[in-house]
Amino acid sequence: MNDILNTILKDTFSHTLLNHRVKLLKSNLLKTFFGGASPTLTPSDLNWLKSFPESFYRNFNKDNVYQIFSDLEQNYAKLPILTIYLAFEPDEATVANIGAFTRKTFGLPFMLDIKLDPRLIAGAALSWKGVYRDFSLRTRIEEKKEEISQSFKKFLRQ
Amino acid sequence: MPELLENPIGLILIVVATAAIFLYLREYNKRRKLEVESDKFLQSLKEKGWETLHQSIKKSQDILATSELEGIKVVADQRLKTEKSEEEFLNQSKQTIISAQNRLLAFMQDLQKRSAEFEEAQKATGEARINQLFDRVETQLADFLVQTAQKTTSSIELELKSTRHLIDTYKSEQLKLIDENIVAMMEQTLDIVLAKKLTLKDQLDLIYEALEKAKVDKFVV
Repeated sequence: MNDILNTILKDTFSHTLLNHRVKLLKSNLLKTFFGGASPTLTPSDLNWLKSFPESFYRNFNKDNVYQIFSDLEQNYAKLPILTIYLAFEPDEATVANIGAFTRKTFGLPFMLDIKLDPRLIAGAALSWKGVYRDFSLRTRIEEKKEEISQSFKKFLRQ
Repeated sequence: MPELLENPIGLILIVVATAAIFLYLREYNKRRKLEVESDKFLQSLKEKGWETLHQSIKKSQDILATSELEGIKVVADQRLKTEKSEEEFLNQSKQTIISAQNRLLAFMQDLQKRSAEFEEAQKATGEARINQLFDRVETQLADFLVQTAQKTTSSIELELKSTRHLIDTYKSEQLKLIDENIVAMMEQTLDIVLAKKLTLKDQLDLIYEALEKAKVDKFVV
């Protein structure tokens, strides 16, 4: 079970994307085992499904598919979520980069929840277990407000 | 007779009856005599009583006559005395009234005199008081004017101080506002400029920096 989840999580970093991909995998497997209409797949989805080795698919059969997905959903619901506020809207690749860096930095198997806040100017603000802290450029400017103001005044006087 | 001798009881009875009759007759005579004596005695008593009564009536009439005479005499004396005392009383009353009138006149005169004196004294006291009051009013007015001048001066000074303080506060507030505006303008400028000028790599670098700082601060544990 954990192997399946770890394989999925390897290149899935956001909570929204994880939901989407688990549903995609489940519908694809159900179609394979029980037939039915083919789901509409984007090239990205298709690439992701093809990225798994044959051995990964061997974990599933008609009898355990529902049980595995039920367990999977329960397990990933327990994963901690780190909310990251960004000043721009990142694309999938950027999210992957940020996700990989985050996991590498903190060494925890958590999911990212990316939110947009243009007031941050640049950098990021984080929310972890209900506590929010701003590490963005805006806060840095705010911290050095006095210094900047003095420099600016000096500049204006010159 | 031989029968009587033969029966002594009958003889005894006859003797007893004769004795009884004899005793009765004797008693009867005695009572007649006593009654006659009693009547005589009563008659004498009656006569004595009547005589005594007549004498008493006569004496009482005498007493009455004497009393009436005495009474008339006393009444006459009394009238005389009353008239005399009335005359005396009238005389005394007249004298008393005259004396009271004299006293009243004297009192009125004294009162007039005292009233005049009192009026004079009041006038003098009143004048003194008015003068005192004027003096006091003058002093108080002078004090009040001095105090008012002092208060006005201190109030103006306070106002000036407060105005200066307000100007200073306003100046510092304005400067603070300008500072804040400078920073806000700078933030806005940075926001506009950086959003356009920062490359994705720069953005990512700043995000990585933020994540590393969070790690250093042990924000995510």
